[in-house]
Amino acid sequence: MIPGIAVLAEKFRVPICIALVLGVWQIVFVLGVVNEKYFPSIPTIAVAFGQMLTDGSVIAAWATTFLRALIGLIGAALLGVALAIVSDLSPILSRGIRYVSDVLQPIPPAAFVPMAVFMLGLGSKLYAFVIILVTVWPPYLNGVAALAGVGPVQLNTGRMFGLTNWGLLWRVKLPAALPEIFTGIRYAATISLIAVIVSEMLAGRDGIGFMIFKKAFAMRTPEVFGLMFLVAINGVLLNGLVNLLRRGLTGWHMRMMERSE
Amino acid sequence: MTRQTRIALWGLLVPLAILALWQVAAMLQRTPLFPGPGKVALAIWANYPVILRELGITLLRAVVGFGLAAVTMIPLGIFLGRVRVIGRVLEPLMDMLATLPPPAIIPLVMLFAGTGDGAKVVIIAYAAAVPLLMNTYEASHSIHPMLSRVARSLHLSRFETMRLIDLPSSLPMIATGARLAIASSLLVSVTSEMLLATNGIGTFLQRSQETFKIDAGLAGIAFISLAGIIVNAGVFRLEKNWLFWHYRDQRPAE
Repeated sequence: MIPGIAVLAEKFRVPICIALVLGVWQIVFVLGVVNEKYFPSIPTIAVAFGQMLTDGSVIAAWATTFLRALIGLIGAALLGVALAIVSDLSPILSRGIRYVSDVLQPIPPAAFVPMAVFMLGLGSKLYAFVIILVTVWPPYLNGVAALAGVGPVQLNTGRMFGLTNWGLLWRVKLPAALPEIFTGIRYAATISLIAVIVSEMLAGRDGIGFMIFKKAFAMRTPEVFGLMFLVAINGVLLNGLVNLLRRGLTGWHMRMMERSE
Repeated sequence: MTRQTRIALWGLLVPLAILALWQVAAMLQRTPLFPGPGKVALAIWANYPVILRELGITLLRAVVGFGLAAVTMIPLGIFLGRVRVIGRVLEPLMDMLATLPPPAIIPLVMLFAGTGDGAKVVIIAYAAAVPLLMNTYEASHSIHPMLSRVARSLHLSRFETMRLIDLPSSLPMIATGARLAIASSLLVSVTSEMLLATNGIGTFLQRSQETFKIDAGLAGIAFISLAGIIVNAGVFRLEKNWLFWHYRDQRPAE
């Protein structure tokens, strides 16, 4: 009996989770623990969200934010891999870039925004700068580790086929390192979304981040919750895109992992 | 001179070259809104007492928020990993929380809790909670079945199993989560101060921008970076000291 329920519960865990969140939410609302102004009921949020969607500005803000995160992520991933390749070719440059990454990595994206606004304005240059500066490190660090970790058997096999150093890098090392690089890119996707939202909140001109803050100051709580939902969707979408690309580029690796299990 | 130190010294040329380029670019621009490294160095000298005081406030809040998250999320993660049904069923919920970037909840918390210390600590605790919970759960969930059998043959109660078996064997992965959580709490601590400006280094950065003292702001950023480097190094040392048994066991396998 008990195992039967457990299996059933596991099978329907997504609906259960959603029901749980909505249920607890509604109970808290009905009990009136928190002031209704700050804690609107689920229907209120749904209605507010629906109204926002019919107004085109939300969709536009959402698309702006998503595109910024996506473009920043692509730029950061390409730059990160390029830096990793450079590091793999020269130990001195590798050490040098590591110094720079050690210094820049602990700085939050929010800190760059006010300093960069005067130089770069409030447009796409600002977002590209901030996002790439904070997002480039995970693909870079994973790339360096993965390129260095390619096994000697693979390298020697490549050499036996008469590959030059470039050929070796392009056709053996890089493909072998890609799965680990993608782990870094997935982490970078999360960071890039954070960087965009924060920059929009601070730059204060457009995008979902700005909109959330505006609604919060106007005490429009239902809309704030609705926009946060949109932000979460952005995260899911971005992750989905990265996974799609990963499947396309490193499908061989995933199939290999499945077989060995 | 060994090869290692030679590489380390030559490597310094890369950051030095970047600094030099920056200096040249700043001299060409000739505007106080784009100060070069020299100006920033002077600003560090002029502002370091204020920066250190504000940074202390920031770090203190980060520590409190992280502590709050660690005290609640590590036991919760172990519980969810041990009581499998609940853990498995709640997995999508944890994934949902993980997709919501911590700074996005800042406006929401502001509505509930205002802009004071309490609000910021809550935001930091949320930011630290996600990696801590995920990693603790993942570790105790995928624990070696033999360890569970040992617990059963020793007739350990559920609580004893969690305390004596699950917690220690999950520690290496919890440490990874803690490292992410510490980085994230520092980051969110600064961010929350910039958005809910009261005090702290984030507020100092905002004020520097508003008064067009970009060099002072960059000096503040330099101190944030320094604090991050010191904290990371400290965490690394602690991990090596406390989890020496884990690293010792791993070495022969390599």
